[in-house]
Amino acid sequence: MNVFGGVIHGTDLAILIYFLFLNSFYALLLLLSIPEIWEQTRLAEDDDFQRLMQSDALPPITLLVPAYNESATIESSVTAMLTLEYRSYEVVVVNDGSKDATIDRLRHAFDLYEVPRIYPETIPTKPLRAVYRSRTRSRLLVLDKENGGKADSLNAAINASRFPLVMAVDADTLIEPDALLRLTRPFLLGRKIAAVGGTVRVANNCTVKDGRVTDARVPRNLLAGIQVVEYLRAFLFGRLGWNRLGGNLIISGAFGLFRKDYVAAIGGYQTTSIVEDLDLVVRLHRYLRGLRIRYEMPFIPDPVAWTEVPESAKILARQRERWHRGLIAATWQYKGMLFNPRYGPVGFLAMPFYVFGEMLAPLIELFGWVVTVGGLTTGYVDTSFALLFVLVAWGYGMLLSIWAVVLEEVSFRRYRRFGDLLLLLLYASLENFGYRQCTVWWRLKAFVSVWKHKHVWGEMTRKGFATPSK
Amino acid sequence: MTSRQFLLVVALVQGVLLAALVVLIILNRWFRLRRSARLKPRRAAVDDAMRRWAAEATPLSGVLIALARLPAPLAIDALVGWSARVPGERWRELAAALEHQWWARLVRANSSSARWWKRLECARFLSVGASPSDVARLVRLINDPHAAVHVAAVASLERMESTPMTLAALERLPQLAPTVQAYYAGMLRRSRPVVIQHLLKRLRRTDDPGLARFAEFAVRLAEPALRERMTALADHQDLEVRIQVARALGSFPHRESVTALTRMGADAAWEVRAQAARALGMIADATTLSLVCGLVRDPVWWVRLRAALALMRFGAAGRNALLEIEIGADAEARNVAQMILGLPAQALAEFAA
Repeated sequence: MNVFGGVIHGTDLAILIYFLFLNSFYALLLLLSIPEIWEQTRLAEDDDFQRLMQSDALPPITLLVPAYNESATIESSVTAMLTLEYRSYEVVVVNDGSKDATIDRLRHAFDLYEVPRIYPETIPTKPLRAVYRSRTRSRLLVLDKENGGKADSLNAAINASRFPLVMAVDADTLIEPDALLRLTRPFLLGRKIAAVGGTVRVANNCTVKDGRVTDARVPRNLLAGIQVVEYLRAFLFGRLGWNRLGGNLIISGAFGLFRKDYVAAIGGYQTTSIVEDLDLVVRLHRYLRGLRIRYEMPFIPDPVAWTEVPESAKILARQRERWHRGLIAATWQYKGMLFNPRYGPVGFLAMPFYVFGEMLAPLIELFGWVVTVGGLTTGYVDTSFALLFVLVAWGYGMLLSIWAVVLEEVSFRRYRRFGDLLLLLLYASLENFGYRQCTVWWRLKAFVSVWKHKHVWGEMTRKGFATPSK
Repeated sequence: MTSRQFLLVVALVQGVLLAALVVLIILNRWFRLRRSARLKPRRAAVDDAMRRWAAEATPLSGVLIALARLPAPLAIDALVGWSARVPGERWRELAAALEHQWWARLVRANSSSARWWKRLECARFLSVGASPSDVARLVRLINDPHAAVHVAAVASLERMESTPMTLAALERLPQLAPTVQAYYAGMLRRSRPVVIQHLLKRLRRTDDPGLARFAEFAVRLAEPALRERMTALADHQDLEVRIQVARALGSFPHRESVTALTRMGADAAWEVRAQAARALGMIADATTLSLVCGLVRDPVWWVRLRAALALMRFGAAGRNALLEIEIGADAEARNVAQMILGLPAQALAEFAA
């Protein structure tokens, strides 16, 4: 009995230390996000867009748009991409062997005609069926290829791209008109940029007109609403904090700008990866650090792209399980970078954080619950102490979420209505009661999938952008 | 302290922080709404005063009073916004009047502030509101270590001609990243005479490590006075310099340019051959048609593309040559000819750019 009690107490102590350590790190990110968002907001406010638009200094950009079964939205989203406020860019849409009428829609909407493929295949991809140019939109190039997945489509688009910077955009992502201009700010500040990421926001319940978000609203659906807070937390303080630590490991696959020569040098996106964005960024870090090339991969908060998030628990569960499966696979694949001094802050801070603070977190949390329940039933853990511990853990989670709302409120204030602000605060408070436990469960399922060598994407059913609820 | 006491303290601190954050959010929203309600009519008043002054319906004093009622950052925003819409002569009148405004004096004083955002504010203001007495201040800001500050300060060259400022910007040019260089180049175009004189001097120093950057800048200027110096660099050992020379010579339709470009069409580096093909297309000298046709069969795709695009600039003769290549024996040349012949005029122009 004494040994069992010792194990329970020892485990409790270990979990408490883990909790303290992890939350101290979050607190550090939180503190670092303050000067970072202040600086970024100042620079964003002082941008002279009128002058920039007239300048031929802006680096040309290729938008890479993989499309699979997007016939419902492809026309409007490509039209919106073709009307961005940027001087020099092209859009390469890749129809990834869609089973619906995606390619026919594109052909009719943009008056496409077939041209021979004459560019070199820098990165190997699934065979191309045809290459089209548009008679009405000279910026547009459409590739029709056999199905090979998102990463394969992105690689095909990189092969066809003409410009030195490439940006992967999901076909259903709505980019704000000035987002490209804002995203190129670090280049205009002369920084040695390898990649740069912008903010992805939740478009559910927002008013969308001609492929543009005209009125930002907070969703009334609880799941979507909580994801707004999650996205704010991930982007506004997580990634901003990492900017200061020099180890941003994620640049969203839905909205990130990369130097093409670096991406091509590492062989483009890995087709076997389930989270191709994380995989790409980790490999870029490994490649650039390995060659001792000076570079930065910052996150900038003011360029915005909007995306639809799942409103049903079933689809959200699939998405989160896939994300975590990808994280497990990536951290395992690149385990050699962990605590490796060659990779600097990436090896010493970012990788350990993602392994111990993100990847293993659901396992540790589950273990904590099991031990606590075991301790409570056998009387080795005091009930009031356990409750106090849970209260503090939840309170801390709430504090971080509300902090993200504070950052949004003092910087960009996209949600103009007071009601939306109150809703955000409500969702930030509710997140820890049920939602968080569900995400732990979904992420635990990812370990089982990895164990079973499951490699599926899972269908992401989208509702489409509609009029907001009053 | 026991672990229970520790957790109690943490819970208490959390509770206080949570309450403080919620209050902060609500107060911040309330404060901003009030501020916006207060400033919106003042901003509208500035716009109205500017509109009437630009139309010569009211005197300048109305604009100055309206600007003084705004906080400095908003007044600077208004000035930057309006600067592109008011004719130069009238704008200079406003810039001169701003010299005596108390808020503008405060902004100017920030040019040597230790805080970069204060210097940035000053640089933004001076980019549209500088007068000849600001030259020393602007030279300092152009040499500022913070990128946002010197990028904002160099924009003042769009409105003001000053030799010290131009030289300060030019000296900084080779150390800048390519995108910033391109921005600087755009701003320096106005001070052409000073820039050309300085460039002529710098292009003579063939061992200058910044030579490629100056050559690149010369390409942007497309100034005939630089032709001779650029042609002399056609055989320079630095690849980057040769690339820039090949790019530049396309803007100088001259016998010597054609001779140099013909030589560069056989350069060992494909980048030089590609730029030479492009430049030969810009000059479209009939004697170089066969050379450009030969470049369509180059082993490197980029050279083939540039050469095929160049042929389209030779008019009917070039088009006929492409049609012949389209049915020729070389499969890769055939492909590129087929693509270029199928491109609409707009796409051709974009490709050729």
